[in-house]
Amino acid sequence: MDIFLRGLSYHAVITLAGAASGLLDGMLRAQAGKEPFVDYARRVCEQMAGKTPSRQSYYHHIEMMLGISAHKHLAETDTETVEMDLYESAEKALTRAILDYIKLNGRGEPLMNVFLRLLWAKYDGAHLVAEYENVPKQMRPR
Amino acid sequence: MTTQTYTRLQIAADQLRAAIGLFVARNDRFSVITLAGAADVILSRLVLNTGQSNFTDSIIEMEVEKGGPRQTRAVAGTAVNDMLLINAIKHFDQGDSGTVEVDDLDECALAAILKALPNYVALAGQNEDWITAFYYWIRQNLDPKKYNVNLDPNWVAPAA
Repeated sequence: MDIFLRGLSYHAVITLAGAASGLLDGMLRAQAGKEPFVDYARRVCEQMAGKTPSRQSYYHHIEMMLGISAHKHLAETDTETVEMDLYESAEKALTRAILDYIKLNGRGEPLMNVFLRLLWAKYDGAHLVAEYENVPKQMRPR
Repeated sequence: MTTQTYTRLQIAADQLRAAIGLFVARNDRFSVITLAGAADVILSRLVLNTGQSNFTDSIIEMEVEKGGPRQTRAVAGTAVNDMLLINAIKHFDQGDSGTVEVDDLDECALAAILKALPNYVALAGQNEDWITAFYYWIRQNLDPKKYNVNLDPNWVAPAA
């Protein structure tokens, strides 16, 4: 969060948020018995598309979408370049990690609250909360 | 921001520069290890793509010269990454304890940078300011009896 908020390196933010998510995802499942972001996203996919993707493939899909894979893997056959909106990817990768962190440890981190306030302002939090009231129970996080 | 094109080398260079910046500023060591480790994955492959040997290959050759068995690149790479905590701080598998033991976190962070840096230099040279600054930091802060602080290619590591 510190690196993101100071705009030091969005590549570093994606890398670190991706690694943190790897730990938090495992800890939520194994230690806390709670639903990580990936499993919530799979439930949403099931409600919207009528099919639950496998955990492994959806985990990979999310990491591809957020640019995390491009920051930690390179195969012989991969392209020389990648296209991404660096700021958007960093913001989303960090948001995903924070959602899992909050489920595990609560909202006590001051920097995290600064980041969440930024999101609230950028995405019109009040409007989103009003819309959330209409979201069916089975599509809400557990 | 908008969508832009980045080369793999740009991504890895930025990760390594961030790792070095955090390290010399005495910031979070786990972040240093994660960033340098991720950069090294990309750089190692890019070096191989150019037809050169990467740093892991050098380690394998050094072990063979000492009389050890010739390990595969995958086995040697995993062993080094385990030693430097690179894997432990990005994965959590069923049955993992939730704690990681480490003798010297500073050494792990430094070693993670020193593993990735030769691969970057092999690809892009050593003229970037952040590399010059890191070399300066090495000369100022590391024990010349233990480390090759002057980057002498003929330097011989002391026996452990």
